[in-house]
Amino acid sequence: MLKAKIILVALGAALVVPQALAGATPEEDRKQAVEYFKQMFPEVPFEEYVNGQYALNEDRRGQWESLQDFPPYEFAVAEGQEMFETPFANGKTYASCFENGGIGIRQNYPYFDEDQKQVMTLELAINQCREANGEEPLRYKKGDIASISAYMATTSKGKPFNIKVSDDPDALAAYEDGKQFYYSRRGQLNFSCASCHVQNPGKWIRADFLSPALGQPSNFPVHRSKWGELGTLHRRFAGCNRNVRGEPFAPQSEEYRNLEYFLTYMSNGLPVVGPSTRP
Amino acid sequence: MSKSLLTIGLSLSLLAPLSAQAGAKEDFQKIYSEAESAHKNAGNFQWTTTSSRLEEAESAAESGDYDKAKAMASEALKLAQESVDQREKQAEAWKNIAIGG
Repeated sequence: MLKAKIILVALGAALVVPQALAGATPEEDRKQAVEYFKQMFPEVPFEEYVNGQYALNEDRRGQWESLQDFPPYEFAVAEGQEMFETPFANGKTYASCFENGGIGIRQNYPYFDEDQKQVMTLELAINQCREANGEEPLRYKKGDIASISAYMATTSKGKPFNIKVSDDPDALAAYEDGKQFYYSRRGQLNFSCASCHVQNPGKWIRADFLSPALGQPSNFPVHRSKWGELGTLHRRFAGCNRNVRGEPFAPQSEEYRNLEYFLTYMSNGLPVVGPSTRP
Repeated sequence: MSKSLLTIGLSLSLLAPLSAQAGAKEDFQKIYSEAESAHKNAGNFQWTTTSSRLEEAESAAESGDYDKAKAMASEALKLAQESVDQREKQAEAWKNIAIGG
């Protein structure tokens, strides 16, 4: 009986760990998240979190590493570079829209655009650039936009994410909105993003091995075996929502951009490693 | 039995299924409307299962199968109400598991 009580108390303590680590600012949230995962996986070095599930499972890591000799996204990245460098009809290129000509800037996205009062993701910025130069916007889930975004990510490889949430109340509200989304249960199966990636990383859910929340956006756009091609982070968000029988949102919707803002902020300090491959 | 009585009896027997179908159609429309409203009220917590039941209900109604349409709409209403409950509960409950509260 006493043993049962001890187990119940321990279980209760384990369940309230996130609350006990209560923070008030995005930076406190991030530090506490790092500490939370450090306690959960003491043997995993911080920088390994960019490798998601492969940081937690040696067998799967071995298979994944062997795939890196001939990564399946190479052609898409080459095409992305070609599109990035090809002038629009007006003679300008993507470089004209971005700081430093768009080279080595992936780690600063998404950011809160104080003029537009919204979260600016890299894919949204790519399409705004196209429209500003008289071109049609690209579709957001896959294809050309994933290739261009992947190429831009390669130019930032190894640079640590440096997402900023300023004191602007609108920026803070966007971050909080993304945070609420991440932790809210949704869909008929009643799962939140956190149910899998905060509470149960390192465990199997049917045939999927769950990755930790830290580092999740670092490897996007990602080539998934399931897709057979590159896809964007918002494509993955929509898939997760559908998996729990929740209605997905449109890619680049305010919901998904705010979610990306929160999730990428949590990965500050981790390097850009995209594109990468996942099952 | 007179010819006129026979005619009245025959007419009534033919009208009965039609009036029953009219009742089923009205029932379906009422439930479907409630389900649609609840689904909308779920906001950004809508369930795919509700959407598919609503589509099935609409499709059955278009083909004139109001019994099936009503059954699908009733399922949609139940699911939609559960999704509204989820939205209301999660407005606060998410903080209980959030790192940083």
